[in-house]
Amino acid sequence: MEKIKFTLDGVAREAAKGTTILAAAKQAGKFIPTFCHLKELKPFSSCFVCVVEVKGRANLVPSCSTALADGMEIVTEGERIDQARRTCVELLLSDHEGDCLGPCMVACPAGIDIPGFIYHIAQGDDRAAHELIHHNMPLPGILGRVCTRPCEDACRRQLVEKDLAICHLKRFAADQVAASGDEYVPACAPDTGKRVAIVGAGPAGLTAAYYLQILGHACTVYDMHEKSGGMTRYGIPSYRLPRDVIERETDTIAQLGASFRYGVRMGKDVQLAELQQQYDAVFLATGAQKAKAMRVDGEDIDGVMSGIGFLEMVSRDETHRTGDVVMVVGGGNTAIDAARTALRCGAKEVSILYRRTRAEMPALAIEIDAADEEGVNIDILAAPVKIERGADGRLHVTCIRMELGEPDASGRRRPVPKPNSEHVRVVDVAISAIGQDVDASVLTGLTLTRWDSIDADLHTGETNLPGVFAGGDCVTGADIAVTAVGAGRRAAIAIDQYLNGLKVVGDVVKYNHFMGELKDVDRKSVEGFAPTPRVPMGELSAATRTRSFDEVEVGFTVEEARAEARRCMECGCRDAHECRLRTYASAFGAQQHRYTGVKRTFDRDVSHDAVVYEAHKCIQCGICVRTADELLHTASMGFTDRGIASRVKPAMARPLGDIDDTGIDQMVDNCPVGALTHKADSVPTLPSRFVRPTPRGK
Amino acid sequence: MTAQTQIIIGMSTCNIAAGAQDVLHLIENRVAADGLDARVSVMGCLGMCYCEPQVKVIDPDGTAHVYTRVTPRRMERILADHVAGGQPRQPWIANFREGAEHDLMDKQQRIVLGNCGHVNPDDINDYIAREGYQALEKVLAQNDPEALIEEVQNSGLRGRGGAGFSTGLKWRFARNNRGDKNYVICNADEGDPGAFMDRTTLESDPHLVLEGMAIGAFAVGADEAYIYCRAEYPMAIARLERAIAQAEERGYLGQGILGTDFSFRVHVKEGAGAFVCGEETALIASIEGQRGMPRSRPPFPAEAGLFGKPTTINNVETWSNIPWIVRNGAAAFGALGTEKSKGTKVFALAGKIKHGGLVEVPMGITLHEIIHEIGGGTNSGRPVKAVQLGGPSGGCIPAHMFDLRIDYDEVTRTGAIMGSGGMVVMDDTTCMVDVARYFLNFTQLESCGKCTFCRVGTTRMLEILTRICEGEGVPEDIERLEHLAHQVKHTSLCGLGQSAPNPVLTTLRYFRDEYEEHIFAKHCRSGKCRNLCSYEITDNCTGCLICKKDCPVNCIEGARKQKHVIDQDACIRCGVCRDVCKFDAVIVK
Repeated sequence: MEKIKFTLDGVAREAAKGTTILAAAKQAGKFIPTFCHLKELKPFSSCFVCVVEVKGRANLVPSCSTALADGMEIVTEGERIDQARRTCVELLLSDHEGDCLGPCMVACPAGIDIPGFIYHIAQGDDRAAHELIHHNMPLPGILGRVCTRPCEDACRRQLVEKDLAICHLKRFAADQVAASGDEYVPACAPDTGKRVAIVGAGPAGLTAAYYLQILGHACTVYDMHEKSGGMTRYGIPSYRLPRDVIERETDTIAQLGASFRYGVRMGKDVQLAELQQQYDAVFLATGAQKAKAMRVDGEDIDGVMSGIGFLEMVSRDETHRTGDVVMVVGGGNTAIDAARTALRCGAKEVSILYRRTRAEMPALAIEIDAADEEGVNIDILAAPVKIERGADGRLHVTCIRMELGEPDASGRRRPVPKPNSEHVRVVDVAISAIGQDVDASVLTGLTLTRWDSIDADLHTGETNLPGVFAGGDCVTGADIAVTAVGAGRRAAIAIDQYLNGLKVVGDVVKYNHFMGELKDVDRKSVEGFAPTPRVPMGELSAATRTRSFDEVEVGFTVEEARAEARRCMECGCRDAHECRLRTYASAFGAQQHRYTGVKRTFDRDVSHDAVVYEAHKCIQCGICVRTADELLHTASMGFTDRGIASRVKPAMARPLGDIDDTGIDQMVDNCPVGALTHKADSVPTLPSRFVRPTPRGK
Repeated sequence: MTAQTQIIIGMSTCNIAAGAQDVLHLIENRVAADGLDARVSVMGCLGMCYCEPQVKVIDPDGTAHVYTRVTPRRMERILADHVAGGQPRQPWIANFREGAEHDLMDKQQRIVLGNCGHVNPDDINDYIAREGYQALEKVLAQNDPEALIEEVQNSGLRGRGGAGFSTGLKWRFARNNRGDKNYVICNADEGDPGAFMDRTTLESDPHLVLEGMAIGAFAVGADEAYIYCRAEYPMAIARLERAIAQAEERGYLGQGILGTDFSFRVHVKEGAGAFVCGEETALIASIEGQRGMPRSRPPFPAEAGLFGKPTTINNVETWSNIPWIVRNGAAAFGALGTEKSKGTKVFALAGKIKHGGLVEVPMGITLHEIIHEIGGGTNSGRPVKAVQLGGPSGGCIPAHMFDLRIDYDEVTRTGAIMGSGGMVVMDDTTCMVDVARYFLNFTQLESCGKCTFCRVGTTRMLEILTRICEGEGVPEDIERLEHLAHQVKHTSLCGLGQSAPNPVLTTLRYFRDEYEEHIFAKHCRSGKCRNLCSYEITDNCTGCLICKKDCPVNCIEGARKQKHVIDQDACIRCGVCRDVCKFDAVIVK
């Protein structure tokens, strides 16, 4: 056979005559991306992502259809090629519609595979759901109760009627497994001999410990409290989060091999430098524990306390009795928790003072509603200005009325005092719950931000000290628990890389195509979903629940959970894990919105029994057209129109269900993106077992 | 046969568009009714499309007179005074005698257009009378295809379709690859806006193309051919089919041509008007009955073309050069033109040009000579700003570069391309950003949609240009546009995509200040981009009322002999006032 001599990236090679550059590069172990090439089909050259340089040619050439020639000098790497490939992918992205992942999953700071676990619950496999959740989040019992649910805000089901009860379903799966008596304890990698100190047994610290143990590193978790859970235990009352749930999930982590040392205070009982010496790595997850001051005269007199101080005290002793009249200042979840807790501690009259209106309250709406039901008086547009101990021995709080002015930096309208509105309220206890600050000043050697939080990389948790990582509230300032879980997991991956002597790049971030915010999403995408009401969560009646710390929300029954899970529309792409557009977009660092303009609109054809054709995802590679033509001899797919309006359509632009569908499975299998998919395939789930993510070379 | 007056009327698409049909009716009616001793026949286009309809009257002594802008009323006078009375109507006669005197003809050298306006395209005898089919007879008599190819190669003829590849070499590849079946194709899918060279050639002298193809087929060993002509050229198709029938009847085409064993059949294939089908691989796909989509080359058509067989594909003008070269020899052809671009080139002058039409000039002539000396400058009297050479695949060359000598390589150096020969002339009322937008809009719509850069890239470029023209341009747009333009140029499958950015790149190169003005100063100096300009009347105004009368929204105030004023709030910035003003009193602010 005749041989062709050529060079590939400077290396002299030989190949049989007729070999294409793409095939030759593959033989040489060089990676060249392609969408439109399939070795069973004739070269087509539509995508142009496979371009390479050939010396002597001004233009880049498509490697899939260019045959080797004697003396050809081929270059497959370099800035010019990278740029062309990235531009190619970005141009395709600019004419592509759809979501790679469900918007719920993208909104979740821990990245839980939400459509995946809900699918398992709908199928009746609660244990599979529970295990899948653990791929990203080891505290579903806790978070299933206290999470503020950014996922539900993003839920596309709102375009039909109401968002899905994602959080309740997560709790359901965890409760089902707990009730089975057979806790899920994942297998761990063999002991690496590396030791990691984790400071803080809150959501971030517990999460990091969980994944580090799985990866084979021995963790010691330090906490200044006497028990684990951090803010979830000491800042959230037990009627929302029963303590046995925290114990159960902490126990699992202990079973994986983590050891816990309680009552150890950083800077006092142990110094950061000591930990650095004794351990191979340190993860700081110390939280944001310092209550913000109201900056009001008299706030440090007896009888005035912070929200978290109050909750922590009650957390230790639920038999604590508070005064008859309690005033809570603030509008967040801590304020609501403090008010509702005060009721359970015998207060006869509890009010919440908030300086803006109910609409601006940062607390969860359902929590505000629950407080309302329990008889808490929510007093908006009011703020304290002075607190004094009156002659009657009670607290005299001077308050003013506020009104809303211009929006401030947060976008919320700024409250401004109303003149001559001062008035005095008499209370027994005043609780200030206007937020918490980080106090990382005891961590010597660390670079801090101007808010005194730790200056750490948000993706890897790396600090200025080698081997010292940080995450959670101590980095971000007071934030929600699930964000801390995400930080703990990402840090575990980064610490593992550090301990293995690898470049610390953190978790693999894959490209995600996003259809947009709810208001921007084409309503055609939810056509065909019949309105089905959200299943409400059962709860104790307001009258009985305020007399005890019993859990208010009773949890879904099996029937409720199945019904609710079936409401999930499985947003996201069936091809998300195999789609080459997504793979290359990730590999080339492509951006969805570098190029914008007219693009495909949502166009889903479900007329075929087994196959869905989503023309809005098609990249016009023509593989289905050529599979039909060259392999199946059906001519069942073809190109129509010209320019940006050109489309791949079933023959004669008929519905897919009307064409000769001989071999249609082969067309589906050959589609490099999620344009042609099988109806029977659900949105794919992540592997449930957590394994070390392999960072991509590029 | 006694000498008779001949009345020959131009019946090409351009003449008919100018009203020739009515004139022909009149002539026929009158000649019959008045019993005039005259023979009436038709001709194609003389190339002077700006002054059509044209009627040639040849006196019995052989003196020819070309009447221009002939209306039925004028024709009546011509028939009465000249044909019947023997007194030519001098004022209506073009001030050129054919082939002489006038710059317009003097600067030209006609090889391809030589018969245009001199033969009746429907009569093979006219063609034969002017050396027609002699070249074919010669090569069949010599019976030496190799020598023939050598001759064509030595002539230096390069493909007139745009790319400029050596025709002789192309034939040689095809001959070397020839197998059991070989094809020849004539690319007559002329699709550039402002180009009509092929149409006119086919309508005016179809046998020339057929003879060239037959010679080519003999050289490469083909026995079958397709002429791929767009269906929008019905007259060209009809005349071609008639010509094929006549040539077959006379033995110039068909089985056993001129008694030799060379056989050659020609089919006319009508294209549906997709611009991309002018690209040879898309054209071949279209003949095969497939969607007109280009494919990657190699293999080149000379190896595997129509139905997988070796195929020689040339355009109308290239084929039309062949008979002349065979008759006159490679050396005569090579004596014309520049070192690397031999012979002549046909250009279609369009846009704001005074003498719009077809010209055929020797390679190496300057743009100035074509546009000013032959073309007569602008029809508006305003200064020439630029010329778009090569249609939507070409580029804009600014007026200050008009001393450029036209040949393949010189034109390519400017960023434009020779293309098939479209020349769109622009004056200073043309906005160069808008020109780029116009041409890109064309290529973007005509993209077959196959490759990513052409399909999506040109769209994104067009969106940026549209934004700039609408006054929404942002500073990053120029860089973004330039980046995309280079990407599309270097990373597209076929010539359409590879050349689509040329209008953008050349206007960015020569008129960058206009882009910047649109974006930063929000101003369009040409008055074309409505969001970016306003019209004002200066003291030059004589108060003649013309602009006031012509304003479509009645926003001009002013009495006779008093300076007029434009109500800026009501003005739609259409520019009509500037166009009609005889005193240059309307300016763009």
